[in-house]
Amino acid sequence: MKSLLPQYALRTGNQMIAEGAIRSGCRFFAGYPITPASGIYHRMIELLQGQGDLAVSAPDEISALAYCVGASMRGYKSMTATSGPGWALMVETLQYAVMTEVPVVIAVVQRLGPSTGGATQGAQGDILLTEFCTSGGYTIPVLAPSTPLECFELSMLAFSWSEILRTPVVLLTDKEVGMTLESVNYDALATLEAASRGTGKADPGKAYRTYNFEGIEDIPPFAEVGGPLKVTMTGSAHNKSGLLKKNDPETLEVLLHLEEKIRHRRDGLALVKRDFQTEADTLVISFGITARAMKDAVGIARREGRHVSSMNILTLFPVPEKQIIRAAERVSKVVIAEENMSGQYRSVLAPLLPGKKIIGVNKIGSMITPHEILDAL
Amino acid sequence: MTTMTEQPPVNYLRENCTMPFCKGCGHSHVLRKLDEALRETGLQPDRICLVTDIGCIGLADALFPTLHTVHTTHGRSTAFATGIELADSVLNNSGLKTVVLIGDGGAMIGLLHLVNAALMNADVTVILCNNFLFGMTGGQHSAFSPLEFITPTTPMGNIVPPLDLCRVMVDANGEFVARKLATDPDLSGTIARAIQHPGFALVEVVELCTEHAVEKNELSGRSLSEAMERQGHSMGILSEKALRPSFGTAYRDKFGKGCTVSMPRLLQQEYTARLKDRTGIILAGSAGERVQSAARALAESAILCGLHCTQKNDNPVTQGSGFSISEVVLSPHEINYTAIENPSAIIVVSEDGMHELIQQKRFEHLTSFSLVLMDDSLPKPKTKADCIAAPFRKEFGPKKAAVKALEMYLRRSGIIPVEALAQTLLR
Repeated sequence: MKSLLPQYALRTGNQMIAEGAIRSGCRFFAGYPITPASGIYHRMIELLQGQGDLAVSAPDEISALAYCVGASMRGYKSMTATSGPGWALMVETLQYAVMTEVPVVIAVVQRLGPSTGGATQGAQGDILLTEFCTSGGYTIPVLAPSTPLECFELSMLAFSWSEILRTPVVLLTDKEVGMTLESVNYDALATLEAASRGTGKADPGKAYRTYNFEGIEDIPPFAEVGGPLKVTMTGSAHNKSGLLKKNDPETLEVLLHLEEKIRHRRDGLALVKRDFQTEADTLVISFGITARAMKDAVGIARREGRHVSSMNILTLFPVPEKQIIRAAERVSKVVIAEENMSGQYRSVLAPLLPGKKIIGVNKIGSMITPHEILDAL
Repeated sequence: MTTMTEQPPVNYLRENCTMPFCKGCGHSHVLRKLDEALRETGLQPDRICLVTDIGCIGLADALFPTLHTVHTTHGRSTAFATGIELADSVLNNSGLKTVVLIGDGGAMIGLLHLVNAALMNADVTVILCNNFLFGMTGGQHSAFSPLEFITPTTPMGNIVPPLDLCRVMVDANGEFVARKLATDPDLSGTIARAIQHPGFALVEVVELCTEHAVEKNELSGRSLSEAMERQGHSMGILSEKALRPSFGTAYRDKFGKGCTVSMPRLLQQEYTARLKDRTGIILAGSAGERVQSAARALAESAILCGLHCTQKNDNPVTQGSGFSISEVVLSPHEINYTAIENPSAIIVVSEDGMHELIQQKRFEHLTSFSLVLMDDSLPKPKTKADCIAAPFRKEFGPKKAAVKALEMYLRRSGIIPVEALAQTLLR
C-alpha cells in the first residue's frame, strides 16, 4: 500500500455479488450460463474452487437450484444466479425451498423479456414474476441493489435473511448493474458478518422435529440432513415433524407459519435510502439501476430551485409499507420510475397511496434517463 | 438429548409396518428388499439420506423413521440428492449415502438429472421402480409403457416403444447399472452392491401395478422377465465397474488444497486529473482488437487520478466477431446515470466499429465541442464534431490502434496525464 488514500478497483455488480457471497460464508454455488448473469457464475467458480469449496456446473437451471437446495439441506450456504428465462425454470424449486424452509440465495439479473427477449438489454420487468410466483402467494424477500457496492452489501444481507428466516431470498439486479464496470471503493466494503443458521436441537427426551416452532412466527431451529439429528424434509403439506398430513390443524398452522415468519419481521427487513426535503411536494420512488437516474434527476431539479424528495427502495419485498406511507404523507404527488412497460412496482405501491397523484415513468429497451424522470416531476 | 449416533436403532424399515400400497403391489417388495440391503451394508441410519420422488413410491419416506428423509418435487429427486451428495463428499466427507426412490414417471421428467448424475459419477444410488405407468394419478401410460399397453390414456394400446433407461445410463457412463424384478430373490444383494458402489448407481426394478396394469394387459409377475427381454431390455447387472473416481473424490483431489485466484486490481490515487466535470468517451473497433482492454486502461488510469469511472462494453452476441464498443464515463463526482448521451470524444479504429456507431446514430447528435478521432482508412462520418484521422492501424497494427488513438486523445485533451495510462498498461 502506497498511501492512506482509499483503494479502488474496477468491478462489475456481478463480481461484487460473488464477493459478497464469499464474505457471507457461501460455500456452494451451482450455475448455468446465461447473459447477463454469467459474471456471477464465473467469479464464484474461481473463488470457491480457489478456496477448495464447491462450485459446480449444472446441466440446466432446474438442476442448478435443486443442487443448491440439496447442499443447503446438508448444511452449507448456497447460491445460484440466473436471468429471466432461467428464473422461469427455477420457480418450481424456489417454491420447494419455501415449503421445506431451506435457506438459499438466488441472484436474478434481469434482461429484456418476454421469453428469451433481449439477452444484452437491461430491464426491470421481472418484479412481479419474481415476487408472485408461488402457489398460495408467499412472500419472497427481494433485494434490489443499484450499485456494485450495494451489490456486495445486499448480497451479504440476502444470505443473512435467508439463513435467519430459513427461506429463499432473491437478489434482483439487471444487466446494467450486473455488467457495467465501475470504480468501487474497496475500503468502503462492509466488514459486517453475515448471519448463519443456528443448530437445531431436540427437546429433552423427545425426537427432533424438522419444522418445530412455538409461536407461529418463530423460525424452526435448523438441523442439517446428514447430521446427528434425524431430519425429515418435504415439499408436501406437512406437520411440524415433516410428515404428510391432510387437513390437519397443525399442517395448516405450518402453512400459515411460512408466511407469518416473514410478515412478522417485515419492518426489520424494510430497507430504503431516503433523500428528503421538508418543503417538497413531490416524492420520487425508484430502485435498482433507475434509482441512479432518479438521483441525477433530483439533483438537476434542486439546482433549478425545486423541492423534491426521493426514495431508493432496496427491499422491494416485503414492501417497506411504513416507510413509503410516511414518506408520502407530506407530498401530493408521487412519481414512480422503473424500466418496465406497465409500472409493475407502481401497481404494488398504488394501494398504499390513496389520494395521491401517482405518476409512472416507464420505458423498455434502454435505461430511463434523468431527463425522462425530470419531465415527470 | 439423544442423537442417532449414540443410540443406533436396529431397524431401518419401521417394524411390523403396514405398507400403504395396494395388495400385491411390487413397491412393498422393493422396500423390504431395500431394508435388507441396508442391513447388509451395515450403515448407521444417520449416514443414509433417503430421497423420495412423487408417486406411490414416494410414500416410502414415512416408513423409514430412522433415516434422514427428503421428499421432493416430481422428477427432481436425483437433482436434490446430487446436491446433498456433492456437498457432503466435498465439504464434509462424512460418507453420507444418498438413496433415491423414483418411479418411471419421475425418471422421465427427471431424465436430465439422472443423466447428469451418471456423467458426473455423483455417489448417488437410484432405485427406479418401473411399473410401466403413473399409478397414483389413475394409471396413465408413461415413457416406460410397453407397446400395445392399455391404460386410460392409451385405451387402444400404446404405439410408442418404451425407454430403455438402463441403456441410457450405461451410455452416460453410469458405472453400476442393473435391471431386476421386484420378486428376484437376490434383489437386496444387488441394491446393497449399488449402495456400496463408490459412484453413481441405478437399479431399475421391474414390477407390476396390480391396480392399473393387470386387468387389461396380459402381464403377470411370472412373464415380466420374458416381456422385458422381448422388448430388448436386458435383465441383470448391465454394468459394474469402478473406472473413475466419484465426482466428490475427483473434485477434492483437484481443488482440495485450493488454487490461485485472480484478485481485484486495487488502485490508489497517484496523479491529478484536470477533468472538472463528467465526461463520456466512446471507443469502437473490431472484436479481438483490444478495444475493450484499451477502455479498461482508460478507466483504471482515471482511478489513478482519483476520478470515478464506469465502463460498458458491447459486442454482437457471437462475442468473437463483428464490432466491439466500450463506453467510458469519467467524473470527479459520483456517477449515477451510466449511459453517455453526449460523448466528448468518439475514438473509432475499424470499419466494424464505424458501421455500428452509424447504426446507433452516434455521430448525429455530436456538437462542435466533441471530437472524433478515427483511423485514416475510414470514411469521415456526417457530424458537426471535429474529425481527426490518423494511420493508427497502419502504424501500430490493429491490436494497438485503439490504445494509441486513446493516448493521442489524452495528450490532446489533457483530461488525464498520459503517464497514468502508461502505468495501467504496464501490468
